Amino acid sequence: MSALPDIDALPALPPKRADWLFRIGLVIVITVTILAAIGPYIGPYDPMLTTVRVAQPPPSLVEIPGLLTSWFAGTLPYPPHFMGTDVSGYDIFSRVIAAPRTDLVIALTANFLSLAVGVFLGLIAGYFRNVATELLMRVSDVMQSFPVFISAMVLVTLAGRSTSNIVIALAFVYIPIYIRLTRAEVLSQKSRGFVEAARAMGNSEIAIALRHVLPNSLTPALIQSSVTIGFAILLTAGLSFVGAGVRPPTPEWGLMISTGANTIILGEWWPSVFPGIAISLTVFGFAVLGNALERRYEDG
Amino acid sequence: MLLKYVLRRLSIGLVQLLGLTISVFFLIRLLPADPVSRLVGMNASKEAYAQAQAQLGLDRPVLTQLSIYLGFQPDVSPGLLQGSLGVSWVTGSQVTAEIASYLPVTLELVTLSFLFAFAVAVPVGMLSALRPGGRADKGVFLYSLFAGSQPEFWWGLLFVYVFFFKLGIAPAPLGRLSPMTTPPPPMTGFILIDTLLAGQPKKFFEAAHHLMLPVLNLTFVLSGPIIKMVRQNMLRALQSDFVLYANSIGLPRKVVARYALRAAMAPSMTLIGILYGFMLSGAVLVETVFSLGGIGQYAVRSVLAFDYPAIQGVVLIITAISLVVYLLLDLIHAAIDPRIAY
Repeated sequence: MSALPDIDALPALPPKRADWLFRIGLVIVITVTILAAIGPYIGPYDPMLTTVRVAQPPPSLVEIPGLLTSWFAGTLPYPPHFMGTDVSGYDIFSRVIAAPRTDLVIALTANFLSLAVGVFLGLIAGYFRNVATELLMRVSDVMQSFPVFISAMVLVTLAGRSTSNIVIALAFVYIPIYIRLTRAEVLSQKSRGFVEAARAMGNSEIAIALRHVLPNSLTPALIQSSVTIGFAILLTAGLSFVGAGVRPPTPEWGLMISTGANTIILGEWWPSVFPGIAISLTVFGFAVLGNALERRYEDG
Repeated sequence: MLLKYVLRRLSIGLVQLLGLTISVFFLIRLLPADPVSRLVGMNASKEAYAQAQAQLGLDRPVLTQLSIYLGFQPDVSPGLLQGSLGVSWVTGSQVTAEIASYLPVTLELVTLSFLFAFAVAVPVGMLSALRPGGRADKGVFLYSLFAGSQPEFWWGLLFVYVFFFKLGIAPAPLGRLSPMTTPPPPMTGFILIDTLLAGQPKKFFEAAHHLMLPVLNLTFVLSGPIIKMVRQNMLRALQSDFVLYANSIGLPRKVVARYALRAAMAPSMTLIGILYGFMLSGAVLVETVFSLGGIGQYAVRSVLAFDYPAIQGVVLIITAISLVVYLLLDLIHAAIDPRIAY
């Protein structure tokens, strides 16, 4: 790059005072990420093993300090069930904090896969315009017109309900979004001065596309990532809820909600309410983060 | 001009649907699932397996299967060209007939929810756009971000717990009418209309009572993105030159707001269409929570049973409806916005 200041590369406006909402989003996302790493090991119970206490309601809030002190003092016969147990006797708290290992890992991997494939195809479709890339866009149109939930369900069920198949199915439904976003950005970037300059310096077209256009066209796709991760968590949970997702007894929020769905009309609210709060907060956290990134990008 | 435009859109749509049909057809056959053994069971003898395979037509080459499905061999069995989506492998009845009985449930639920979400979103979005950055605007923004990122089925369960179990003001989530009530003769498939056509106002109110929570549930999740969009478009309209002009010649605020709203609604139509199409299959979780028996639940049942003709039919019909809705909304868009001409 030259030493001349590029008008596009003027320093961005000083970052705005991060508002409290953004901070909340960040805290949620970081917490869930940490839980994805250590969640399965830190709970009082093994998330995959049942206890003999079935459908035990959670202690009321005022009891918790007392429970904690006697737990640490070692006077309890068994560790407390902070969120109760479900009909099979699983400790809900241990499973709620173990579930990010499933939910977040699925969502992150699926997003990364679709991001990588989508950005790559979008770059090609935007930079090289010919019959093949036109065809690619039409195929992507058809893919995008699939009803998302049903296609994910079909892919997972027919391919076999394993974690890796869920990842592939989610990646498949999100690829067209990234193709479209990246292609649009590439189209607007490739007529800019720096591309002309790179060409004048004798760079090959492929080198220009990869080294100059690609880095400058990534932002919309990266911002979309935060939103996609949130939706991928919702989709993973939804698939489990209808019985087309991960297999029990994998700790997964949607599966836990679905286990509790049968008993909630009888008044046993805790098996579904706690994992639901976890999903609700997590997806909200990613949405907040995505929104903050988007606004920062738009403001320049 | 308009007719030509509509015809062009419809023909593009047909090509798209054909592409979709063929890709779904191959996609589900490429996946490593064995619908035959699913149907006859793992322990079936070789003969039983072969017989079932022949009965489903799965012993033919894939391309022959496709041409039969598309309707190029009406002597074997009717296909798409003859207006048939084939026969369900599980129930043995026509897929078109099955879809026709499940689809209105979903259309009713989704359309009602859209109307309510719209009725809430337009005034709220407008109010927050009139004073951008104000306290109300911030609150509305937070709400729309929250509502737009929620697991709707979980909220459905919460609503059931609170309104049915705790307060007792909602019926049990067991369908469109209570299990003891005989449903009205199906004429349109929309239960609210059918009960009225049959002259049974009591059942009408019962059906409305049963629809209350599912509609509230969907309205809640839909209101998020719709409020956000109305606010954004309204903001843009209020900053445009014609509003400046209208203000400068001293038109009353109310009139100006109405002009701006009209200009703001036009671009909103596209997103509404996309959301509506998305909800046709996205309502599946809410249908499941309240056991409404809509097209989404039909899709779940078919997918879990490896019922290929039913799966293909559902995907095709839902996509076709989405395409028609996109077209209709584009036409409405053009009717509202004088700058657009086809």
